[in-house]
Amino acid sequence: MLASDEDSQQHSRLEPSSTPRVLTILAFVLEKLVVRNDRLVDGVSREQGKSLDVFHGARPPNISIIKYMERIYKYTNCSPSCFVVGYVYIDRLLHKYPHSLVVSLNVHRLLVTAVMLAAKMLDDVHYNNAFYARVGGVSNVELNRLEIDLLFLLNFEMTVHSRVFESYCQQLEKEMLLNSTTLKIERPMISNAIDDVTEISMEDMPSSSPPQLVD
Amino acid sequence: MGAAAGYGQLNLEEPATWGSRNIDCFQKLEQIGEGTYGQVYMARDNKTGEIVALKKIRMDNEKEGFPITAIREIKILKKLQHENVIRLKEIVTSTGPEADEQAKPDGDNKYKGNIYMVFEYMDHDLTGLADRPGLRFTIPQIKCYMKQLLTGLHYCHVNQVLHRDIKGSNLLIDNEGNLKLADFGLARSFSNDHNGNLTNRVITLWYRPPELLLGATKYGPAVDMWSVGCIFAELLQGKPVLPGKAEPEQLNKIFELCGTPDENNWPGVSKTPWYNKFKPTRPMKRRVREIFRHFDRHALDLLEKMLTLDPAQRISAKDALDAEYFWTDPLPCDPKSLPKYESSHEFQTKKKRQQQRANEEIAKRQKLQHPQQHSRLAPQMQSGQAHPPQWSGHNHHMNNSQPPISAGPGHHHYGKGRGPGGPSRYPPGGNPSGGYYADRGGQGGGFNSGPYPAQGRGPQGGVPTSGSRAGASGGYGVGPPNYPQGGQYGGSGAGRGSNPLPGNRNQQFGWQ
Repeated sequence: MLASDEDSQQHSRLEPSSTPRVLTILAFVLEKLVVRNDRLVDGVSREQGKSLDVFHGARPPNISIIKYMERIYKYTNCSPSCFVVGYVYIDRLLHKYPHSLVVSLNVHRLLVTAVMLAAKMLDDVHYNNAFYARVGGVSNVELNRLEIDLLFLLNFEMTVHSRVFESYCQQLEKEMLLNSTTLKIERPMISNAIDDVTEISMEDMPSSSPPQLVD
Repeated sequence: MGAAAGYGQLNLEEPATWGSRNIDCFQKLEQIGEGTYGQVYMARDNKTGEIVALKKIRMDNEKEGFPITAIREIKILKKLQHENVIRLKEIVTSTGPEADEQAKPDGDNKYKGNIYMVFEYMDHDLTGLADRPGLRFTIPQIKCYMKQLLTGLHYCHVNQVLHRDIKGSNLLIDNEGNLKLADFGLARSFSNDHNGNLTNRVITLWYRPPELLLGATKYGPAVDMWSVGCIFAELLQGKPVLPGKAEPEQLNKIFELCGTPDENNWPGVSKTPWYNKFKPTRPMKRRVREIFRHFDRHALDLLEKMLTLDPAQRISAKDALDAEYFWTDPLPCDPKSLPKYESSHEFQTKKKRQQQRANEEIAKRQKLQHPQQHSRLAPQMQSGQAHPPQWSGHNHHMNNSQPPISAGPGHHHYGKGRGPGGPSRYPPGGNPSGGYYADRGGQGGGFNSGPYPAQGRGPQGGVPTSGSRAGASGGYGVGPPNYPQGGQYGGSGAGRGSNPLPGNRNQQFGWQ
């Protein structure tokens, strides 16, 4: 879990109020999707989305989507656009494999893999897989496997044109406008997570040794 | 005309699902390249019989995961389809240990297996070809290669791809005379994806433009055009023209050739990140026309525009294709008219050369007189019948000799290993010294030691007349292969053979 004292230490590295809006919006959109899909999947046993099987954990991790994304952003210092591009990748995946669903069991792994790949594609300077694995709470080996699976599932179509990028941004903004007037973002994942055992383990990053650049 | 070729075409057709085929669909024939990145094999498609090149993507750096260079290369090659850009046909995987490798303890991770990029097969690369003893390119041939290089690069730039590693060994040539850009491992899209800063740790040192050496992180297609200029000069000169050993020396060599930059010839140069660090101590004047005065006028005009310090003023690929050079006699020849060269792979020729060096050492010990150093030959002037490639008997005796000394980690076309890390591994603004990309290592001498020795007898004659070159007696140094060469060509051990850096590309050894 993320400790608050460690929060404040790491924040000094970043701008004050460091969560970019895109993270909030994205988390909102994804959580909405996950809630809906979780309900859909509930009755139907687990017959959906074979292609995403590899991203499935045994049980939902004990961290909300927004916290998870903030964590990735905070430690990896990737550019905010990596989250948009990561979202584009996930969306492409769902279009390519219409029977696949983003659910609470796979959303975290999808996110960390997609954002990591986006950072690899976008940022000339970025952290390596081992670092993303630590931040994302999965093993290095698993993340490598997820990366290859995502690449092949997407058929290596990793290009996101600025036009596409822009349209995704607009779509996300619209989504936020439509909903911000109504309810606060509900966080079903937190109330859900009664287990204290989680598959994705969130260790705190040692504050004494700042994250290293990929070597 | 050339400039319009392939304009804006994209490969939008969907290939069969990549990764669906296994490496077992191919029969490896022989290794044709080697690098830290992985091996390159010549292989036959079992189903179609087609000969392909397999570039292995080694997955054993667990921390890095899928190599970013490979992802970028695949991503970019997937969308580029042009006759002057290498074609990536598919990607295949191997799930278990392959026949030719010893089984490693893989644990349960099936992806410790390998991933291969399948390319169309190409017979040569430009450097390997140019390095052949006795081989000299004709002017129409150089024009033909340059035109193809510029056409391919123009296509990349139109599609907003920067190659960022243009150099001879990344220009593959088949036996139909076609030249194709390869190794897009450092390439990236520009402007569209991303407005952010780009790393300046790209492009092999000898071909790296001044703006990158001065720390620029916002740059564009002009970086590739500088490299093209270096290659152009190299083809005409018969050897690399800016062989620096580390960044400061590289900049210095550039300044000695192109003059020192200032706010007049390059507005904004003083604001480049490392300008103050590398600022020249004394102004030098531009000497391109003086040093290359033996080039023909149109070649020199074009070269001047390519080797322009200010990237904003540097000629674009499109404009270069419109240059007089390509539209005056002798015209670029038809690729198909070019001689077919005995297939050689740098990897193999390197082995041969190593054997050759061993033989040479023996010869030296026998106190053979007049050791000579081979240098790449300047081009022939003839535009007519091309001389057949001169395969001198000198190294034929080697072909059947015992297995060569093991070749060090080196360079292969289709993309080489880049030492311990790609550019993403360097922190921004890192220490600019070091020359990680100087993978050909140093070459002694240089243009700054004065005009080329007038030892070339110009056996082909035909030095084009141009008033400005009156003083260059003898013109080209295009002696026959055995012609003893001194000056900067000589200097025992100063050639490519004396490279102390690991992972260097092939070396060129003197032969007698």
